[in-house]
Amino acid sequence: MVPKKKSTVLALGLAALVAGCGHPSNVSKEADHSITNARMSDNPVHTIVMPHDEPVFPPGPGRDEFVTACVVCHSPRYITMQPRFSRSTWLSEVKKMKDVYGAHISDEQVPKITDYLVSINGKPDSGQAPKGIYGE
Amino acid sequence: MHIPSKDLAPPYLGGLILNQDSCLDVRNNPGADSTTGNVRKVAFMNRRRFFQVAGAAGAALMASPRRMTSVLAASSSTRELVRFPEKTEMILLTDRPPQLETPIHYFRQDLTPNEAFFVRWHLEGIPTSVDLRTFRLNISGHVRQPLQLSVDEMRSQFEPISIVAVNQCSGNSRSFFEPRVPGGQWKHGAVGNAKWSGVPLKSILDRAQVKSGAVDVSFNGLDAPPLPSVSDFVKALSIDHARDGEVMIAYAMNDHALPMVNGFPIRLIVPGWYGTYWVKALSDITVLPQAFSNFWTDKAYRIPSGPNGTESPKNLAKDTIPINRFNVRSIFVRPDPDETLRRGMPTEIEGIAFDAGHGIRRVEVSTDGGATWADARLDPEIGKYSWRRWRAAWTPRSRGQYRLMARATNAIGETQSKEQWNRSGFMWNVIQQVDVRVQ
Repeated sequence: MVPKKKSTVLALGLAALVAGCGHPSNVSKEADHSITNARMSDNPVHTIVMPHDEPVFPPGPGRDEFVTACVVCHSPRYITMQPRFSRSTWLSEVKKMKDVYGAHISDEQVPKITDYLVSINGKPDSGQAPKGIYGE
Repeated sequence: MHIPSKDLAPPYLGGLILNQDSCLDVRNNPGADSTTGNVRKVAFMNRRRFFQVAGAAGAALMASPRRMTSVLAASSSTRELVRFPEKTEMILLTDRPPQLETPIHYFRQDLTPNEAFFVRWHLEGIPTSVDLRTFRLNISGHVRQPLQLSVDEMRSQFEPISIVAVNQCSGNSRSFFEPRVPGGQWKHGAVGNAKWSGVPLKSILDRAQVKSGAVDVSFNGLDAPPLPSVSDFVKALSIDHARDGEVMIAYAMNDHALPMVNGFPIRLIVPGWYGTYWVKALSDITVLPQAFSNFWTDKAYRIPSGPNGTESPKNLAKDTIPINRFNVRSIFVRPDPDETLRRGMPTEIEGIAFDAGHGIRRVEVSTDGGATWADARLDPEIGKYSWRRWRAAWTPRSRGQYRLMARATNAIGETQSKEQWNRSGFMWNVIQQVDVRVQ
């Protein structure tokens, strides 16, 4: 069940990358922001268009690595939402994403991404920073 | 994007608005599940396009045809409001995948409106289109009779039930843990109370004829991971829990279809348990003859095994268990912390309280920082898994600062924590303090 889906999604993802960013014909270009409840009987195909409103980070050392390895899976808002964390906490977050969640981050990228996160949302190391091992 | 300025190092550029049709890519996956014919249409950021946009943005902010968001005014912190499809203005935590928090004033009613109900997804690929003609719920695994059910079949072939139940994110109120922990920085609005209507999971499992020796039942939805190395979001319950007659599959929420971002067309309802088990856009149920195991159970959503999931930052618990039932808690709904009250003017303090289903029996309120307590009036009980609203009349006698507190107790005597911490920021139920000014 799970492996089949993963492989199918990957294949589709690659196809989408090759195909570019065209809209399927049955998807409206305008997001529907009306406050209505979906009604099952009216239309058997129920479709929404997700809005995007992502913050973009300033240039700086490690930004390219951050964009390549992190933003492919989630908005940069996952960083700006957090309070200022110490370097040890940001480092444990990067390692968690790499080793536990499955992000494509090389060993060489780990300190670069960590430095970048500290530069934009860091604080001095207190030496007793929590380790967010399971922090969902 | 509005983060208190002290939390941002210059030169933070602020919220860049990406023109939505420049970066949204809807992938149509007709072959996602050959057994059910489910069409998987999932939103992903188009990677190449993102790099183009993000690269250009370092120098100049892109113009947007429409500002999507507005600022929540008159709040103790500036948090941005955002509108997603089928939703009203919600507090924006993250946009991709979305985490949207309910403004507290919606808790002044028994049932939380669908358009204001909190949203939390784990994986970037969330479903954006469902064709009810081809959508099937697939029941397979350790059963004699695998099933593929359309939503119409679930509505017409099974006796419907309705249950009013609180759904609360495991990390609701995470931002109040000290020291702070990474994760969704929710305040108290990652919770809601709704009337769920649908089919008991037991009825569907009975029709599928579960074989003897079943141990767990796993639940998967239409959401998909952005990389093959990322685990699909699948959760499980024990077979006994799954067949308790209360766990259900909901096709309606407050008598309407679910908003897409709340799990259209069906989601799992696990009364009294944290929202991580309430799998959205449920598409696959698998009965297992062995214990379920995956990242989302073995490594994520775990709590220290000790009382109330608590541990110390300096002495992390060695034994952890999967998060499970709600603890007891109450949340102030009124007054707003920024509200200024008048001396001698009668006011009503309001809130909500809930637990895992034993029932709230008492809520005590203090207006003097915990020195003295008085019983609040409880609204009638709607159902054991519903929250219970409470009120307390209060006329402040003099000017100044007052510290309000509320403490709920349930039918088996469980009450709220005085202090609490765990590394993941789960299960917050510390007695809330609200400081208000009286003039």
